[in-house]
Amino acid sequence: MKREIQKQDNGKVLVIVEREGQEIAPITLELLQAGRELADQIGSILCSVVIGDNNNDLAEDISQYSDEVYSLDHPLLASFDPEFYTSSLNQLCQLVNPTAILLGHTLNNQNVAPKLAYKMGREVITDCIQLAIEGGTGHILCSKPVYGAKFIATFKLEKKPYVVTLRSKAWEPIIPRTTKGEVIHIAPVLKEASVKVECMEEIREESISLYKADAIVSAGRGVKNAEGGLSELTGLVEVLGSYFSRVELGASRPLVDAHLVPSSRQVGLTGEKVAPELYIAIGISGSLQHVTGILRAKKIVAINTDPEANIFTVADYGVIGDFEEVVPALIKKLEELQ
Amino acid sequence: MKLLQIVVCIKQVPDPEGPVDAFTVDSEAKKVIPVGIPPVINPFDENALEAALRIKDTFGGKVTAISMGEKLAQPVLRKALAAGADELILLVDQHFKDLDSYSTAYVLSKAIGKMGTYDLIITGRQAGDWDFGVTGLLIAEMLQIPGVNLAQKVEMRDDGIWVEKLTRHGYELVKVPKPALITVSNELGELRYISIRALQSVREKSVNVYRAEDLDLDIQRLTTRKIVTLSAFHGQRECRFIEGDSHQQKGENLALKLREDRVI
Repeated sequence: MKREIQKQDNGKVLVIVEREGQEIAPITLELLQAGRELADQIGSILCSVVIGDNNNDLAEDISQYSDEVYSLDHPLLASFDPEFYTSSLNQLCQLVNPTAILLGHTLNNQNVAPKLAYKMGREVITDCIQLAIEGGTGHILCSKPVYGAKFIATFKLEKKPYVVTLRSKAWEPIIPRTTKGEVIHIAPVLKEASVKVECMEEIREESISLYKADAIVSAGRGVKNAEGGLSELTGLVEVLGSYFSRVELGASRPLVDAHLVPSSRQVGLTGEKVAPELYIAIGISGSLQHVTGILRAKKIVAINTDPEANIFTVADYGVIGDFEEVVPALIKKLEELQ
Repeated sequence: MKLLQIVVCIKQVPDPEGPVDAFTVDSEAKKVIPVGIPPVINPFDENALEAALRIKDTFGGKVTAISMGEKLAQPVLRKALAAGADELILLVDQHFKDLDSYSTAYVLSKAIGKMGTYDLIITGRQAGDWDFGVTGLLIAEMLQIPGVNLAQKVEMRDDGIWVEKLTRHGYELVKVPKPALITVSNELGELRYISIRALQSVREKSVNVYRAEDLDLDIQRLTTRKIVTLSAFHGQRECRFIEGDSHQQKGENLALKLREDRVI
């Protein structure tokens, strides 16, 4: 470790920066907003943590959002490895004694968070959509959807540092400040020998990001069972392309389980949480596991043959009808209206 | 060759596919009370069981299903035996009521440790009640074995366990030595079909029930979930239904309405 770091009573709020290659992943800005609100409440400072083998540009970039940036640099951190990531974060926590560690509820962090919490002898609350500080005690209150989003439960963590993972699209992205935080480089001590899980091959399927879409056409069981169903929806995606800057095809779980659509397009509890301007749910019954993924969509349209389908209770516009007849007419009209 | 020992952790939960109104909440007691729906094996744990059974189909071995709770419904959990598990272990004790993830992992790891040798432990990625998704990986930490999460395929090879692990852009093929813990996602596939006959045939099969005192546990270490509030989560919106004489007309009217409201 390169330098002495001052420990504070009102320990720092650490936000673990998510990256997409050399870029900051969008969820990071939401984590930082959550972190800023928390830091303000407890009278502490907001620190970003960048993990990798050459973080200079990223650390510089993130410094406009944070009071301090910890850059954990090590050749073994070049690609994601849960053991090395956890170990590095644990070393950082020993050093700076934070109040809270906020991580995105990403696939990778679903592994890192419990490991890190365990190493520190702490609990972890995952997939939170709201954070608050309890008056008097200063303990953190973490709210998250439970029972497939039927309920929302608030859990209390009493021992610092609090380890929490946050759901994407639950906070607005943070706005940069005019002053930049200091970047502090730290080289964690890592040993190659501790590798136990070896990556043999990385298979990239169709790479898409529902997260960035401003319109999503999503297919459910009703489409799965229809002949040539997905091709209709592709047509709708195309025509919406002249109204929106980025339109994507999404799906509910049955289509992913049937391998008709890759996992990266799945919307819902175990898939992506999305917040487009327009979400069109086609043949989706609206199980809560799905609905929890679209709560932040601006406008939701549901097309379904079943008037009792739950999806209509969360939609702004509903069409009761067979999508195979509704969608072509919708496409035609959208073409005319351009 | 030594018989492959596979342990699958299964949790009993109220059926997540049950109707929305079958779940009520007691805000005072901070408990969810399912009404009129039976408990089931957590669906992701069924995926985990399927993973174990596929390995057994190909490589042989013994599959032990293990479940923990204050009260457990044996007929529900016996489904694991009907599906092909060789043994069912139930950890039942009043001390196991409402345990948090850490304590749940502690009890399960103690029970698994007591079983002696194991090559592979498989759990679901998360449970359909609290959706934390950490118990499996905590068991791995406690047993000091490697843990791989979010598997869509698990295979045994001569040099270790090969796992297809979900990533944001596809999947990663990883290799891990035995023993290891794997958490499984729904992409792996549903639990195989179980006939009524298979269910009947295991009705009388003996199960091993252990209590806290059988497990060399430090009861003082068991902690419950600290829930401060629990309330219904509403995402309801006012739905305007698009009218029309035919499905086609409804489609056209939808486009017009979206334009009128400046959605497009």
